[in-house]
Amino acid sequence: MGTVVTSKMAPRPSPRIQGVGIGLRSQHYAHLLTHQPDVPWLEALSDNYLGGGLPIHHLEQIRAIYPLTLHGVGLSLGSVDPINRDYLNRLKTLADRIEPAHISDHLCWSSVQGDYFNDLAPLPYTEAVLDYVADRILQVQEFLGCRILIENLSPYLQFRHNSLTEWDFIATLVNKADCDLLLDINNVYVNAVNHGFDPLDYLHAIPPERVKEIHLAGYEDQGGFLFDTHGYPVQAGVWQLYQVALEQFGPVPTLIEWDTDIPTFEVLMAEAKKASGYWPRD
Amino acid sequence: MATPPSELRELQNLFYQAIVPHAQQASPQIAKLPVQTSIDQLATQIRSQDNLGFEQGLAAYQGSVMGKLTRALEEIYPVCCRLVGPEFFAAMSRVYVRQHPSRSPDLGDYGSQLPSFLEQFEPAAALPYLPDVARLEWSWHRAFNAMDQPGLDFQALGSIPQEQWGQIRFELPHSSVLLASRYPIHRIWQANQPDNAESAQVNLDQAGAQLLIWRDRLETRIDLPNEADWQLLQAFAAGHPFGEICAQFLDQEPTLDVATRLPVWVQRGWIAGFLIEDMDD
Repeated sequence: MGTVVTSKMAPRPSPRIQGVGIGLRSQHYAHLLTHQPDVPWLEALSDNYLGGGLPIHHLEQIRAIYPLTLHGVGLSLGSVDPINRDYLNRLKTLADRIEPAHISDHLCWSSVQGDYFNDLAPLPYTEAVLDYVADRILQVQEFLGCRILIENLSPYLQFRHNSLTEWDFIATLVNKADCDLLLDINNVYVNAVNHGFDPLDYLHAIPPERVKEIHLAGYEDQGGFLFDTHGYPVQAGVWQLYQVALEQFGPVPTLIEWDTDIPTFEVLMAEAKKASGYWPRD
Repeated sequence: MATPPSELRELQNLFYQAIVPHAQQASPQIAKLPVQTSIDQLATQIRSQDNLGFEQGLAAYQGSVMGKLTRALEEIYPVCCRLVGPEFFAAMSRVYVRQHPSRSPDLGDYGSQLPSFLEQFEPAAALPYLPDVARLEWSWHRAFNAMDQPGLDFQALGSIPQEQWGQIRFELPHSSVLLASRYPIHRIWQANQPDNAESAQVNLDQAGAQLLIWRDRLETRIDLPNEADWQLLQAFAAGHPFGEICAQFLDQEPTLDVATRLPVWVQRGWIAGFLIEDMDD
C-alpha cells in the first residue's frame, strides 16, 4: 500500500474550527454541559473514548454543543512494529461517531515488538526514516479516509544519526505524506532551549499551508533544561514565539493544553483569551 | 508496505531497553542486554547537547514512562490504593511495572495482572482480601469502559419456532464478569467509595461474595445474585443450550424452573443476546 497511494487526501469535510479552543478534560464535563461557556471548539483525547459507556456518552453530549477535534497518542507512527489495526479500527469507529474537524497524533514511536511504553519517543531524522514514516502516514490516512495532523514533540534526546534538522524533516514529511501539521509552539521553544537552536529557523522552514492547528502549553524549568509537563500557564518566551507564528501562518486555530494539575475552567478560559489577544483585529 | 530501515529497528530496541525498566521481561524477540549495557550503547548513539545531558534526557524518559504506568494503576485500582495507602501503592506499582510490560497503546488495558501479582506480593500478605478487591476493581473498570452493546433483539427471538427453543444459547452482557470471593469484597469496595456515607467498618467474618459485575447501558453495576441465580448465571456463562440448562436445574435440589426465571432476567438486562446454531449456518 502506501507508496502506490497517489490520490490526494482531502481534509475532513466538517465541521470547521476557528479561534482559540481548550483541551477537553473530564473534570470540566459538568461545567461545559451546564453553563455552555463561550468556547469556539474543544479538543478531545481520542485514547479516552475508545470504549463505550459514559465517556463516549459525555463526548456525544458535548459534541452536540461544540465542534471537536480528536488528538491521540497511540498510533506509534514511527515504530518499526506493524500499524496496530485494532487501535486504528477503534479510532475510525470513534471518528465516524464524533465527526471531528480533524484527527491528530504525534511524530513519534511508542512500541517495540508489541510492548508499549505509552510515551512519545523521538525518531532519528534521516532520509530513510522520513520515507518510512511518510509511507505509514499514507497508510493511516488511506484507512481513515482523511488527512491527519502530525504534531512535533519535545525530544529530550537527539540521535547522532540525524542528517536533517527537525524542521527540515517535518517540512519534507508533511508534503511527502500529504498530511497536515499540528505545530506545538511550546515544544518548538522547549527544543530550542534544550538543544540550542534558533526557534525562528524552525518556524521559517515550515510550509504555512500545512499548519492547521497550534498547541500552546506551559513547560517546567528543571534547572538547566525545560520539561514539557503541560501543567503550567504558557510562559513569556512561548507567547512571543506564538506571535511570530501567527504572523507567518495567519490565524490558525489554537489550543490551550493542560494535562497535569488541571485548573478550573475559568483559568483555561483566561489563557484562551490571552491567546486571542495575539490575533490580528478585524 | 514499506520495510523499516534496519538502523531504526536497532535504535528502537536499544532505546526501549534503556528507557523501560521491565524490558528485561519483555517479548522474547527483543534482544536482551543488561540495562547498563543498553544505556552505555544508547549513549554512543546520542548527540551531545549543551543544555540537556544524556543522563538528564534518559532520566526524563525513564521517569515519564514509570509515571504514566503507575498512574494508570492508581486510576484503575483506587480502592486498593486506599486500603494500603498511597505510598505503599506507589512502591508496589513500581515493582509491578518492572515485571509487566504494557501490551497495548491504550493505558486502560494496563494492569490486568495486578490481582494475581498481589497474591504473590509478600508485603501485602497481611491483607488477604486485597487480590479479590483488585479483581472487583479490574472487572468494574472493564465493564465501565466496555464497548456499547445493543439490547436483546426481541423480534429475532420471537421468530424462533418453539421446537428450536431448546437449542438457544443465551448470552450475558459482554461487559459481565462473575466474581466469587471468600471475603465480603463488595462491602469493602462500597465502604471505600468517595461518596460512601455509611460506616467504613466491614466485618471480615461476614459471608463471602458472589457478584455479577456488568454495565446496564450507562450504569456500571455490582449485582448480588441469590444462590439459584448464581448457579444459573454460571450455566449461561458457560454457553450451554437452553434445553440442557433447563433439564440440569430440574434434576438438582432444590429444583429451579428456569423458564420462569428467564423473563425476570431479561427485564434486569442480564440477558443481552442469544445464538442459535441453525440460524448461524
